[in-house]
Amino acid sequence: MQNLKGRVAWIFEQEDFDVDQIVGVKNIKIKDPAELGRLAMHAEEPDFADKVKPGDLLVGNHNFGYGHPHYPPMIGMRHLGLAGVLAESFSPGYWRGEIAMGFPQVAVPGIIKAVSRWDEIEIDWGTATFHNHTKGTTLPIEPLSDGDRLMLEAGGLVGYLHARDNEEATG
Amino acid sequence: MGFTIAEKILTRVSEGGSVHAGDEVLAKPDFVIAYDFPGYTDVIFKQMEEDFGITKVAEPDRFALFIDHMVPAATTAEEDLHQLTRDWGAKNKVPVYERKGIGHQVAAELGYATPGAFVVHFDGHISQLGTFGTLAIGVRRHLLEAFVKERIKFKVPETTRIDLTGTLQKGVTARDVFHHIVRVLGPRGCRGHVLELGGDTIDNMSLEGRQSITCLAMFTGAITAIINPDARALDYMKPRARIDIEPLFSDADATYTQRHKIDVSALEPIVVVPPSPADTRDLSEVAGIEVQVGYLGSCASGRVEDLALAADVLEGHKVKDGFRLNVIPTSQEIMEIAAERGIITRLINAGAFISSSSCDYCFGRMGVMRAGERAVSTGTLNVRGRMGSPDSEIYIVNAAAVAAAAIEGRIADPRPYLKG
Repeated sequence: MQNLKGRVAWIFEQEDFDVDQIVGVKNIKIKDPAELGRLAMHAEEPDFADKVKPGDLLVGNHNFGYGHPHYPPMIGMRHLGLAGVLAESFSPGYWRGEIAMGFPQVAVPGIIKAVSRWDEIEIDWGTATFHNHTKGTTLPIEPLSDGDRLMLEAGGLVGYLHARDNEEATG
Repeated sequence: MGFTIAEKILTRVSEGGSVHAGDEVLAKPDFVIAYDFPGYTDVIFKQMEEDFGITKVAEPDRFALFIDHMVPAATTAEEDLHQLTRDWGAKNKVPVYERKGIGHQVAAELGYATPGAFVVHFDGHISQLGTFGTLAIGVRRHLLEAFVKERIKFKVPETTRIDLTGTLQKGVTARDVFHHIVRVLGPRGCRGHVLELGGDTIDNMSLEGRQSITCLAMFTGAITAIINPDARALDYMKPRARIDIEPLFSDADATYTQRHKIDVSALEPIVVVPPSPADTRDLSEVAGIEVQVGYLGSCASGRVEDLALAADVLEGHKVKDGFRLNVIPTSQEIMEIAAERGIITRLINAGAFISSSSCDYCFGRMGVMRAGERAVSTGTLNVRGRMGSPDSEIYIVNAAAVAAAAIEGRIADPRPYLKG
């Protein structure tokens, strides 16, 4: 799997963060990715969509995705080119939903104190390490389960199930 | 080293030997359950056919579909979605249950909560089948995997064991017990774990109370909750169980990642303050806050004993002028029992508005609030905008406290209404 390498586009410092806040609850039924991208973090920073670039990463605190997470906020973030979320820990329902979408989520204990906004960071899957190139620091990441890794490699749930089709046909 | 009930169930449905927490297995769900909802079932049906060329499921009895949201339909698009579900069910010979109540409750009534079974749904509140010793897990869009494959890839979860002890005071319910658990453990106290419940409080609790607690497991961070089935659970499920399997139980020397003992004998009615499902307070701290709407219902609460308790509080009183009290029994079976016992009549006489069972009041499709309004609710969740305007607020309380607020038009302690 290709390393994640980009800038810290946003740090969600709140623990148990409810991702619906990214686009706002009143916009949670919007389906258009471009509109969701425009709305992402808009209430906090109106030019967020202009500042980020493909490959950038999001950083979260403990239990990121708590509540009743919906898909539109991260559909918007992916439309902007955001490449993944790194957090102290994740709420299991949120994690499962985003991995199924092929959107990398990485548990990095200690990350919230290890980054500032716009730092250049990298996830090295091979060594299971987080690097902050700006600060010159590293942290171990929590390894993915086989199922989650296969799903991310396949680009999400549908690709993963096709890969299993092939495996079962040849196995 | 012994096994937890969750490990034993996943061993039962996986190939190979015994499994422990941390193992990754390919598990065959005994039942795959869903309610129809845009973006879920319609997408799954389409993907099955277009991406995987599956035009018919192999074992239709393993599947069950419920139509419980958007009931009754308010737009033709909603009825179109329901028709799509009915057509898919007919074509696949998969049962579609509609107008019977909220699916998570009806699934128990219909025996899908067979003790020892493994069940998946996209919605996490299916955890309440754990009341009957069933391992039931909400997997969100991963549910597609269970529709196109016989087995799903699954990591055996760790288990947190909680023993509850003590007798609840009058006016304090299972609902308060759950929110107290969140208060003690925090919103990530059981993150990723199975929450296994036991102790004398659970032993003495009705099945309805246990359903209320297990329904809400996700707000502790757990992926589900489960109770080792006792005689009460087994007796209820025996005539209903859909498959012939042996119930399973945790071993005495099972390995738990954490163990907690929580005494509930001094517990008071609780309020979960918006907008977090984890901001838990004693009712006395927030008594007096004016509220305009009351909702008694949902897959968590709204069962016979909740309705009876609300009727007891309202006995000899009326719903305050202008207050909108919506009472929606969790299923038609529950409504029928409540009607036979005269509970429905008592609620109507006190001024409650009663509807047939539906999920729609819980997620803001019906009975909505304007900006600036506040509700007391037994719904599942109090996040912003859940019951209408993003600028309205939801205070989660037990059934008795909904009734007390309906009398006074403000958050009020229900216990004085239950004396004598």
